Amino acid sequence: MSAPFVQVSAISRSYAMRSGMFGRSTVVHAVDGVSLSIPKGETLGLVGESGSGKSTTGRIVLGFEPSDSGEVRFDGKPMAPLGTAAWRAQRARMQMIFQDPLGALDRRLPVAAQIREPLDIHDLGMPAEREDRVRELLRAVELTPAHGARYPGALSGGQRQRIVLARALATKPDFLVCDEPVSALDVSIQAQVVNLLADLQAELSLTLLFISHDLRVVRQISNVVAVMYLGRIVEIGSADDLFARPEHPYTQALVSASPAPGRRSAGRIVLAGDPPNPAARPQGCTFHPRCPRAIARCASEVPALSSIGGNRQVACHLVTGAETRDAA
Amino acid sequence: MGHFFAIRLGRAALTIVLVVTFAFVVLRLSGDPALMILGPEAPPEVLAAFRKAWSLDDPIWAQYFDYFGAIAKGELGRSMRDGRPAIELVLERIPATLALTLPAFFFKVALGIPAGIYAALHRGSGIDRAVMMTAVAGFTVPSFVLALVLVLVFAVQLGWLPSGGQESWRHAILPIATLGLGGAAVLARFTRSAMLEVLGQPYIRTASAKGVSWRQVVTSHALPNAAIPTVTILGFMVGTLIAGAVVVESVFAWPGVGRLLVVAVANRDLAVVQCILLLVAMTMVTSNLVVDFLYGFLDPRLRAKGAHA
Amino acid sequence: MTDATLKDAKAFSSEVDSGSRKRNASKLESSLRRRISLAAIPVSVALAITWIIAMLLIAAFAEKIAPYGFTQLDLRNRLAAPGNAAHWLGTDELGRDVLSRLLVSIRISLLIAFGATAISALVGTTLGFLAAHFRGAIEQLVLMLTDFQASMPFLIMALAVLAFFGNSLPLLIALMGLFGWERYARIARGLAISANAQGYAAAVRQLGAAPSRIYLRHILPNIASTLIVSTTLVFPEVILMESGLSFLGLGVQPPMTSLGNMVGYGREYLTRAPWIMLAPATTIVVTTLAVSVIGDWLRDRLDPTLQ
Repeated sequence: MSAPFVQVSAISRSYAMRSGMFGRSTVVHAVDGVSLSIPKGETLGLVGESGSGKSTTGRIVLGFEPSDSGEVRFDGKPMAPLGTAAWRAQRARMQMIFQDPLGALDRRLPVAAQIREPLDIHDLGMPAEREDRVRELLRAVELTPAHGARYPGALSGGQRQRIVLARALATKPDFLVCDEPVSALDVSIQAQVVNLLADLQAELSLTLLFISHDLRVVRQISNVVAVMYLGRIVEIGSADDLFARPEHPYTQALVSASPAPGRRSAGRIVLAGDPPNPAARPQGCTFHPRCPRAIARCASEVPALSSIGGNRQVACHLVTGAETRDAA
Repeated sequence: MGHFFAIRLGRAALTIVLVVTFAFVVLRLSGDPALMILGPEAPPEVLAAFRKAWSLDDPIWAQYFDYFGAIAKGELGRSMRDGRPAIELVLERIPATLALTLPAFFFKVALGIPAGIYAALHRGSGIDRAVMMTAVAGFTVPSFVLALVLVLVFAVQLGWLPSGGQESWRHAILPIATLGLGGAAVLARFTRSAMLEVLGQPYIRTASAKGVSWRQVVTSHALPNAAIPTVTILGFMVGTLIAGAVVVESVFAWPGVGRLLVVAVANRDLAVVQCILLLVAMTMVTSNLVVDFLYGFLDPRLRAKGAHA
Repeated sequence: MTDATLKDAKAFSSEVDSGSRKRNASKLESSLRRRISLAAIPVSVALAITWIIAMLLIAAFAEKIAPYGFTQLDLRNRLAAPGNAAHWLGTDELGRDVLSRLLVSIRISLLIAFGATAISALVGTTLGFLAAHFRGAIEQLVLMLTDFQASMPFLIMALAVLAFFGNSLPLLIALMGLFGWERYARIARGLAISANAQGYAAAVRQLGAAPSRIYLRHILPNIASTLIVSTTLVFPEVILMESGLSFLGLGVQPPMTSLGNMVGYGREYLTRAPWIMLAPATTIVVTTLAVSVIGDWLRDRLDPTLQ
């Protein structure tokens, strides 16, 4: 296989957060040494709870936020520095789909004008062609030109997300980062939008980074899935394989909590302890305070992400190669 | 805690630096400072001595620092009208101004704050509406119009009070009333909205729900919290004691700092104008500083947010 | 000085409210079209709007509708009382027609107030956007200047500038244009920062848009209603400030006339001819009242968190 289209190497991001009245600052490691690679035309699903650093990862991958260390290479080249003209020009090739489509749209402009905006920004095509392109895009996301004349407030949530999608596709980008693109939508609409996204991806050979806390949706669209917990990737593997046989105790808990046809909820693993707080990250394996199988070593030593065969990698002291395959 | 006060002090110093810079820039932009300060009739040797003393032949940045030095030593130039040091002229006017602004200040506080509190506690009542209407009038009627109307009624029509001058205490009544009425309206409106804001807070509802008597809710919860913003506005009012009566002093021919300023501006007596400008800046900065410290005392939470802009 | 303290009071309360205003702004912007319908306008606001329209028409056509030239003398009719057929509002001690002078004064005062408000809005919004865009040192500089402007009494600064530079109409407009800019700067900065942090501005930036497009095409229309409400706070204060300066004889210079000039001039004849001063004084009071009434109403409609 050729070099991956999007190559993320050991990116990290921490913030200084001031707390309390004496201005003590704590360092929050939002993302800690995350590496990912996405081949052209494929989808990587990034899963985790809120606070896991998945959104920050998405923003760094897109060059929307700098990384403290490591680098992101896009189509073989490093990302242009944030805010420069080169960075702006690069936006034509990579786009973002936001969680809140209403927040991502300007309420004072008709949506057609907003779909057209990337074409104006990057000066693509003659003005008359741009109008045609807008109509074409509206059709592509299964809306009509009549929808284009409306304001965001006059559209439904699903329609707004289609508009955001149409705007993102206007410049014919190669790479899309979708950050919780359907979690604000009704369940019935979610499937429609995800299907539309999958169709468009096949048609336009888009490369996707799909961020979500919802395993069902991720499973539906991803080739490879990475699971994040408190800034680190704890498990990564092919979507079907990972969901069928989760190895990391955290992945197991997530999968068991997600409803699936033909599986009874009796085997559900309920996690104890507090939800993850990036401002107070535990020592050692960050998951150990909530882990049902934690051993002494977990509290002191950070487990490395290591391959256990196939393209599966797990970061857990209890999972090493074939030996623990049975234990699951 | 020292952090909070250090930031405030630094900011106060910065404001002074900005005012001095403002005076310096405006002075230099307006022409030859020697001619400006000393006047066109000054003899050449005096002009030369002034240029030497103020280093006007030095590079501009050196002049800028020298200007600070001169001001620090109190060398603020001489009035071009009677040749006396500007600082003397200004200082001797201060008592007259304070004779108006201090009683007016107490008048404002005694009338405005109780009216505002009463209006807030009886929201929607006749008195509330009367207070609000007066407050709006206090904003829309400029002080010179109010002053003239008072003169028209009490001096011209009724003949009870003199219309101008400084001969007796009766001469001070109308200027004080003008200053006090306008200020009381502002203060009443401000106190009312501060009280209403506090009364709408959840902790007030909690306290009443716990069965604390309404009188106690007001005196021990609402008033202390509403005092915080009110102290700020009072601080601004203290800051304007020196120069807050420019218009009123002019209307009533009251020989205070404000009237001196108006005459100095009309005559382009720059040394005097510059001196008053700096004096006002000092007063404002000092009172703002006192307010900030009081604030830190009244509301410890703010000390933590000291860096907030 | 009532005007100065009021300005400070407002500056302070707008700072207190800035937090909640930021949150509410975007929600409120969109309600502009929906909320304003003719049926909902109260009588007081309708009267205020009528008055302002009348003032604007007078300002536009002052010379055409004035019965006399505003400097034209009528020495046989000096200090004529109002109500006579030749001079509805009477004459001054040189026999100049008070009505004609009033109309021309309205034009000059409104010209200054509009010019100054426009400059102040432009300067303040630009500085606020620059602060929001660059953050860091530039933001600190802008904040320092806004603090400085808010803490110094404007009248004193204005008098100092007039003393140093002398007086002319363009200078007076420019000087008044420095009044109130700090309010726009604070609002524009706060709203632009919150828009940049999330939502539509971030989305457009992500599309690759240059800052000029983000600020002018997206953020500005979205915060316009809040800025317009601020304008209704600054505008009456500019009228009061200009009339105060002119009253002191330090603003608009004769033979030109403005509302404050007329009051200052009428003061000399307070006992013999109070109408010279009452007509312009009433105009000042009613105009500032009208703008405040409209402003209060707009604020309740668009942005209840602004003080």
